[in-house]
Amino acid sequence: MTKPQRIIFFICVLYAAPGWARVFLEWTQNVVPPSKTLGINELVIPWEPKRLAFIQSARAQGYHVYIECNLEEAASLASSAARYGAAGIIVNPGDAQLQSAERAMRKLRAIHPQINFLLLNPNAIQPQMKGTLVINRDGVLQVTSPTAQPWLDTNLALLRLEQAFRPAQVPLYTFNWTLLGSARQQGPEVADYELAVAEAGAFKADLILPLHESLQNGLARNDDKAWATWREIGKYLHFYANSPNNLVPEANVAVITDDNPESFEPINLLARHNIGVRVLRPNQVSESSLKNFDIAIVFPNLSPQLTQAVSQFAASGRTAVLVNVNKKSYLWHSSKGIENGAASVSYPVKKGRVVELREPVSDPETFARDIRGLIDNVKIKISLWNALTTVGVLYREASNGSKTVELLNYSEDPLEVQVRVKGVFPQVWYESPEGGCCKSTDPVIRDGFTEFQIPSLKISGRVHLSRANPHASFQR
Amino acid sequence: MRWSKALVTVVLSVLFTAIVAECQPASVYKKKYVMGTVFEVIAYDESSQKASAAIDAAFNDATRLDGIMSNYKPESDLSRLNRTAHFHAQRIPPDLYRVIEESLVYSRLSDGQFDITVGPLVDYWKSVMRGERSESKAAEEKLRSCSGFKRITLLPPDRVEFQSSCLRIDLGAIGKGYAVDRMAEVLRSRGVTVAFINAGGSTIYGMSSPPQAAGWRVRLRDPSGKNAPEVLLKNNSVSTSEQTSPDLLGGSKAGHIIDPKTGEPVKTSAAVSALANTATASDALSTTLLLLGPDRGTSLVKSTAGSAAIWINSAGNAETASGGPSISVGENAGSDIAAQAAEIHRAH
Repeated sequence: MTKPQRIIFFICVLYAAPGWARVFLEWTQNVVPPSKTLGINELVIPWEPKRLAFIQSARAQGYHVYIECNLEEAASLASSAARYGAAGIIVNPGDAQLQSAERAMRKLRAIHPQINFLLLNPNAIQPQMKGTLVINRDGVLQVTSPTAQPWLDTNLALLRLEQAFRPAQVPLYTFNWTLLGSARQQGPEVADYELAVAEAGAFKADLILPLHESLQNGLARNDDKAWATWREIGKYLHFYANSPNNLVPEANVAVITDDNPESFEPINLLARHNIGVRVLRPNQVSESSLKNFDIAIVFPNLSPQLTQAVSQFAASGRTAVLVNVNKKSYLWHSSKGIENGAASVSYPVKKGRVVELREPVSDPETFARDIRGLIDNVKIKISLWNALTTVGVLYREASNGSKTVELLNYSEDPLEVQVRVKGVFPQVWYESPEGGCCKSTDPVIRDGFTEFQIPSLKISGRVHLSRANPHASFQR
Repeated sequence: MRWSKALVTVVLSVLFTAIVAECQPASVYKKKYVMGTVFEVIAYDESSQKASAAIDAAFNDATRLDGIMSNYKPESDLSRLNRTAHFHAQRIPPDLYRVIEESLVYSRLSDGQFDITVGPLVDYWKSVMRGERSESKAAEEKLRSCSGFKRITLLPPDRVEFQSSCLRIDLGAIGKGYAVDRMAEVLRSRGVTVAFINAGGSTIYGMSSPPQAAGWRVRLRDPSGKNAPEVLLKNNSVSTSEQTSPDLLGGSKAGHIIDPKTGEPVKTSAAVSALANTATASDALSTTLLLLGPDRGTSLVKSTAGSAAIWINSAGNAETASGGPSISVGENAGSDIAAQAAEIHRAH
């Protein structure tokens, strides 16, 4: 083994420790293969009293069984869950608001401290690259669009909001498959499962993966095709089960919101355009909490504390964008505003500015593009090219400043993607579920940025960027 | 006896329903990212395997054409042509020759408003939009001096020469339409006759009509949301063009559709949808008609057989022109579509 090979091997071994993103398998059929055969530990069973026997048989097969139920059922199931041998209760709050569900969970946890309660966000969507076809009862209705840019259904915005509003728990989410035509019977393609697993892993969230009943039945009856499919999915499960932890997402933009639904689409489109976003609750905002951002977007009405923070943020040479501003008078109105058409007005504040948008964001796509335009190019932390179907999330290693980029290609067809990361990182490695760990790439260092290419990003991959010594860079 | 008769009737009707259901063509839907957008195809056929294989073949052809016409891929035939055809005729693949040839037809028809040589100006304004450079009259003037469709010389059957040292072709306003037409050919060659091809929503082609329908209903883009324009496609195509919306926060004012006459992004809030017999034609027409506007564009539409167009601005004012097919607008949309459907039925 040569020295570089030894180093790569060492890195791979380091990464073999379990990390955060967990995949729970949702099982709705009555027979399940043993946990060891399936290679997965966590099974979720939607609650029905008649499935009690199955819960016990799944436990005997080696699974940690979680019961999924609604808020009302959770209260009554809590006392008997331990008796059933359940590893925990996953509470699906249905349409309940984030905050009211959170309150109900706190109450449950206080009454039953011995039960592992997890709160589920059931409002995620199937990750996919979407077309524009709308199929209705009368046949196909196609809506034309002037921009041919692909639309990605991604859950990054949902998870950024979860992280801000439920910081105590790693986000746990699930979705329903959207299947058309013959796929309704056959179930999703392998690549669709792989993308779902990869998305949760890349965004550092827990996922309940709904397995289509055709695949569950195929696995249960030992069907070769089903097992071939599962082995492919297994590569992704393994890859993300061994993710690095202690990673902090990097962001250029802070979005301050009180979970107003109007903020969702703008955050979604910012994420889609690979603009790093961190969501902050209004009561978290201070001069210090904003110090690492270049842009602050503010959705709620300004409290005196928020007004002060915005003013200080702008005065330090950055841009605050206030959405749907009422006609109140603010500190910065002492400067003469510059009208940007009918939509907004900019007020200079010392070295920076405050931009007031007069209405809610009506066109999130244009808004996201404009926000990108407001960030100085030399400050952009990550940029991607040839990546209209790719989402890249940049993380910083908490202890040593090395970086990790998680890449997802929603088109599920191999792409050559170019990436630029702020900072000088002479050592760049790439790993993927198909290719394993780790291939060294030749980065180009230019003007304080590190540029590299991923020649064939199929569904997902991970890039490690290190300043020098790889041993030091990959310590966790 | 009555019971057994009834039972036979029920069994027969169940069998009949099953047989009818069996004979109903199955629909297969597939999508693929190619040419920087999502191509979607729905095909109906009695054999879903056949339809699926035909769609895959059509997607492969679109991928092949992307390898020929892409401006982003340095190894594409177009990129090579752009590097080497200045004052030296270059041999190119038949598809590239054909699409350039068709582009020049629309350039002549529109008196230069449709022009595939504005690529360098498009790139310039895109970089202005992204904030990578600031506006410069001198740079703009230099790039304008490079362009002009009359500086492309076609040397049949397969060679092209540029009469400018800095001319560069961009097929963004016609390439997807051409690919859609070739995909339709591939589907037909594999025996699939009922299909719907959608290139990112901006260019759409309807082959024949779906089961129990007179055509493929398409709702058109309306920036005002007031008009609900619709068309019924049957062996024809519709494309839509609209300038990039102005920004909200006081950044750049650029857009992606350049007026070849001025060299600057066209300033209009209108969206234009153009119908034509082929996707190549509708794609080229929609950009051209956006640049021409309804006053000058109407005569072009009327003189082009099988074409129609609608211009709708952000205030909701709509103007239509037709050289044949109709576009329904507003409350009449449903009844117009029904009348058009009846007409299509009569004609076939």
